[in-house]
Amino acid sequence: MVEVCIEFNNVSKSYKDVLALDNISFTIQKGEIFGYIGPNGAGKTTTIKIIVGLIKDFNGDVFVNRNNVITSKKKVQNLIGYHPQEAGFQEWRTVDHAFKTFGRLSGLRSEQLEYRIHEILELVGLTDVRSKKIVHLSGGMFQKLRLGQALLHEPEILILDEPLAGLDPSSRFQFKKVIKKLAKSGITILFSSHILNDVEDIANRIGILHEGKIRKLGTPEDLQSSFQVGNMIEIIVAKNTPLCEDIESLYKVDYVENPKANKQLIHLKSNVDIDLTVSQIMNLLIEQKCRIRSFNLVKPSLEQVYLKYVGSETE
Amino acid sequence: MSLRLLFIDELRGYAKSKVMIVLWIGLPLLSFLIQFINPGELEGMPISFLVSLIVSSIGGTLSAIMLSTSIVSEKNRHVYELFLIRPVKRSSLILAKFLAVYLCLVVAVGISLSVGLIIDGFANKLSESLLNVTFEYLIMSFSSMAITCSIGILFGVVVSSVPIAAILSVYLGSQLSSLIILPIFFLEGLDPVILSLALGIPISIIVIGIDILLFNRQQF
Repeated sequence: MVEVCIEFNNVSKSYKDVLALDNISFTIQKGEIFGYIGPNGAGKTTTIKIIVGLIKDFNGDVFVNRNNVITSKKKVQNLIGYHPQEAGFQEWRTVDHAFKTFGRLSGLRSEQLEYRIHEILELVGLTDVRSKKIVHLSGGMFQKLRLGQALLHEPEILILDEPLAGLDPSSRFQFKKVIKKLAKSGITILFSSHILNDVEDIANRIGILHEGKIRKLGTPEDLQSSFQVGNMIEIIVAKNTPLCEDIESLYKVDYVENPKANKQLIHLKSNVDIDLTVSQIMNLLIEQKCRIRSFNLVKPSLEQVYLKYVGSETE
Repeated sequence: MSLRLLFIDELRGYAKSKVMIVLWIGLPLLSFLIQFINPGELEGMPISFLVSLIVSSIGGTLSAIMLSTSIVSEKNRHVYELFLIRPVKRSSLILAKFLAVYLCLVVAVGISLSVGLIIDGFANKLSESLLNVTFEYLIMSFSSMAITCSIGILFGVVVSSVPIAAILSVYLGSQLSSLIILPIFFLEGLDPVILSLALGIPISIIVIGIDILLFNRQQF
């Protein structure tokens, strides 16, 4: 049986006249990596701050492992590790000192803390800068520090608010590797981002938030299959060789585009038998002795799905 | 538990700050130099009185500025989020800051006074009446510094711009704290020590209470 880890029931939150969350309800299951996407101002950070207890005045109910986030705040705080989008550290602290302070504040005892700090420094790759002042860390290391402090007390749930923002490709890769490793160890992860490729890489379920409402929920595959772009086949032939002709004559083909000299995009009519149409097109290609380099059934990207639900208001 | 931890933490942070280096070393050194560069200007005033006068007046203002600007800067950089997602009371954050800075100030005055007393002892300037005046002045200064620090925190909590917090602390913080000395001039026969304690302690507690109340209402 699937165990619910985080549950939102009819949650609304306003800032003066602005409705940040509009009666949202959703659940995140135990062990899941939940990708939470939406444009700036969609309400992602508000959702997260409600879970971690930084926002108390909202309507509706939020539960973390069946504990109400308002009435059982301490229990929830022990269950959650939070990587905030913007949080800074006091400049005079070293990496080691920051971990010690936050570890103690999270209830770790000295002997346990030392071992745990060592473990976390290894995991996030900060061992070499342990005694360095935070103010001298690079942007990537700063993000790792934020992640590290969230993991100190071995939380069951990890909430990451835009953890990959501002990272270079190499740091992003490293960061994603750590997140996947943590997920394998059984931690439930809520991961907010507007970098769709990253969400697609990591998440096994996605929620699209726009204007305070959950527009779509599902696995990346569910979202892609629910998106009716119409079936499309992409054919690329060898350079300087002729493209296939008369494809449009097939009655199941809607129209054909030629975006490049050696590339054709074949848009099929809706409700066609894909397998039959593919074999007919292949026969045509063979008959015309086309030198095919690739033949693909094109699926909608997450970006297309995202744009469908949030319009063109991307960052 | 968290208050003790935060207090030690803040103490470590403030003790390393440049402001505290100025208070602990720079100001006593300055007073010491005045004595040797132009001793005639002091008109027989003991060096112990002079240094405690300088440290407590400048120190109070500097501490208010440090408190207000550090709180504004930490709010703007979302530093408190990392504390508040843990079992930490908001009041502990405010109290830890106040106690740490106040203790740093007391230490600064203590260092200055000790240095001054040693110099005065060698110069044979120490007399019972001058020591009494110095003592009275110190008690009034401690009361005044407590109010200045609590007002510094208040500006830090309510203001969101670092320069505005600094300006308010300089012009209003030290002025408001000096109000506790005023009744001495208008009401004859009042003991300045008792009066400053009777006003300084409750006013500081009330202002810190307001600081905590306002800090509790803030959204992070």
